[in-house]
Amino acid sequence: MTATVAPTPGSHAAVAAGQRTGAVLEAQGLTRRFGTFTALHPLDLAIAPGEVFCLLGANGAGKSTTINLFLNFVEPSGGRALIEGLDVTQHPLETKRYVAYIPETVMLYKNLSGIENLDYFASLATGRRHERDELLQYLLQAGLQVDAVDKRVGGYSKGMRQKVGIAIALAKRARALLLDEPTSGLDPKASNEFSELLSMLREQGAAILMATHDLFRAKESGTRVGMMKHGRLVQTLSTADIGHADLERLYLEHMRD
Amino acid sequence: MIARIAAKEFTDTLRDGRFRWSAVIVGTLLCAALGAGARHYTDVKAQHDRAASTMRDFWVNQPAKNPHSAAHYGLWAFKPRTLLSLVDQGVDPYVGVAAYLEAHKQNEFQFRPAMDATATQRFGQWTAATIMQLLLPLLIVVLAFPAFAGEREQGTLRQLLSLGVQPGALAAGKALGVASALGVLLVPAAFLGAAALVLASSEGALGGEWPRIALMGLTYTAYFTVFVAVALAVSARTRSSRAALLVLLAFWAANSLVAPRALSDVARRVYPTPSAFTFVTALDADLKKGLDGHSPDARTAQLLKATLAKYKVSSVDSLPINFDAISMQQAEEDGNKVFDRHYGALYDTYRKQNTVHQLGAVIAPLMAVRSLSMGLAGTDVEHHQAFANAAERYRRRLVKTMNESMAANSRSGDFSYKADPSLWREVPPFEYEAPPIAQAMAMQAPSLWLLGGWLLVALVSVARTRSLRLD
Repeated sequence: MTATVAPTPGSHAAVAAGQRTGAVLEAQGLTRRFGTFTALHPLDLAIAPGEVFCLLGANGAGKSTTINLFLNFVEPSGGRALIEGLDVTQHPLETKRYVAYIPETVMLYKNLSGIENLDYFASLATGRRHERDELLQYLLQAGLQVDAVDKRVGGYSKGMRQKVGIAIALAKRARALLLDEPTSGLDPKASNEFSELLSMLREQGAAILMATHDLFRAKESGTRVGMMKHGRLVQTLSTADIGHADLERLYLEHMRD
Repeated sequence: MIARIAAKEFTDTLRDGRFRWSAVIVGTLLCAALGAGARHYTDVKAQHDRAASTMRDFWVNQPAKNPHSAAHYGLWAFKPRTLLSLVDQGVDPYVGVAAYLEAHKQNEFQFRPAMDATATQRFGQWTAATIMQLLLPLLIVVLAFPAFAGEREQGTLRQLLSLGVQPGALAAGKALGVASALGVLLVPAAFLGAAALVLASSEGALGGEWPRIALMGLTYTAYFTVFVAVALAVSARTRSSRAALLVLLAFWAANSLVAPRALSDVARRVYPTPSAFTFVTALDADLKKGLDGHSPDARTAQLLKATLAKYKVSSVDSLPINFDAISMQQAEEDGNKVFDRHYGALYDTYRKQNTVHQLGAVIAPLMAVRSLSMGLAGTDVEHHQAFANAAERYRRRLVKTMNESMAANSRSGDFSYKADPSLWREVPPFEYEAPPIAQAMAMQAPSLWLLGGWLLVALVSVARTRSLRLD
């Protein structure tokens, strides 16, 4: 398999910044306010290679805001979001080279086939053209059926779109993944396949931040979970230390009131 | 990266049914307009050549007659159609194609095709220029309005920006993509247009017309570029593709429908032209009383005195020449001064109105393009005036030749003198050549500057797309 994630240590720029803590994704007092409403209270978080950090919480708890801050889609009101030690607001283009973003529904161009979509996104992400064979590898590795590769994505299911999203992450050799409720609306089989892909990426050394409502997936795929409520990270724990039932009980306790 | 984005936009657009249909419709209309234009041009040119040579035959085959009668007999001058009028008819349908040249009078142009037109034709002739000026911008709007707004709605813009794509590269790539898709339509159309021009031109080669054709091509390319850039700029800034479409359609309508009418009203209000009746009345009044206010009789008396002194004789009868002819030529020249003043003032007003139209390009780029297109096609008021002046110079020369022949060869009071038909040949056939391109462009400075300004602002705004809103 040619696709490996995070094959090289941090860039010269990152090393020069002298801020390496070993974490690929790092939030330092990261805050976001919309007017008088605080969507995210100062958040401190570090995700190392090979870690899957699952953010749990109700809608509006600040999960998506955190991801948007890492993507520099919204400006922080305070603190910093770092990717490979680089502040995303100061290096908006370079930091995006290290991450892959997979939203609930991966949006693609309906007039193009799966492999044409991948070709386009991958070449924009990496700045180079890829051979068809290489692209095909990524798609198959992401679990797309071979006969779907040349079909226009207008007819793709949500799960197939996710696979193209993963293939993009593979093609750009992302060191970090930002996943925003990627398994919502997937059927159990597709959801399970997605978890397996995540495990593969994690084993290859990617740092993964995933916002989700799915406690079961969080326990299965995550290495750590963080509970968010009203913009605050109220508790962080390791999935190895807790069973399914306890996780659910804890979550419901936090969500009370 | 820009090339990659352009290639994707190109493929995406070509696979879009809406583009294919609208391109087929606009392409068909454009081809039909070019074909009809070429056909019409060759027909009218043949008619023109036939009429001009028939006219010459009539003139040179006059029997022996009094030269002044010949001047009254007069002849028609026909305005030749320029080759590029097959692309842009300009004001030709409204200003007439032939002038009757005769003694004593500078006549208005006759035979305006618009007079014969049916009511529906009031909406304008569907020439290639109309299609390029009005329909192609509409096609560009339809093609480009979702460029950013559509991706924003569908969520692909987030996907793109999450990859670290520079907004400027994205904008440039999209501009090139739209341009290439348009190229699929316009490049064949340009070849067809060139073929139509070559086939229609009588020499079979375009010769001196190339600079005009090339400049016209550049003008329209600049115009389309402006529209592509405006469409992208609007699409980048509006929340939804619906809003983008609405804003762009409003701009299109303001540019194509509202501005031309509004500006001609403004121009007419600021620089009013007299009605035909007022013009003729004022002209006649000045012809009667003379510009210096002396009565014609007083002027004739003065001329007689001078002529008698010149030939050192004391009475009209002892003059060796025909004083009536001299007096007629004098009246002719006095009249010419009146014509020069009145027609000069009229064309000055037209020119000022034209400048107002051109300055309208500050708001609507169409105004600059329309002016340049007509100017390059040789169908604007400026070219019409050049022809009218040439015809008038020819008339004056013809009348003068006749009067001088009469003065030299007959005596005062002798209207029975008949000139030899060889005299008719002394007047060369009327030949007219349109003014050179530099002269044609001299009046177009406002249009050139304003179109250039639009182009610059448009290109800079695309190149400097720094950030894109996500929702």
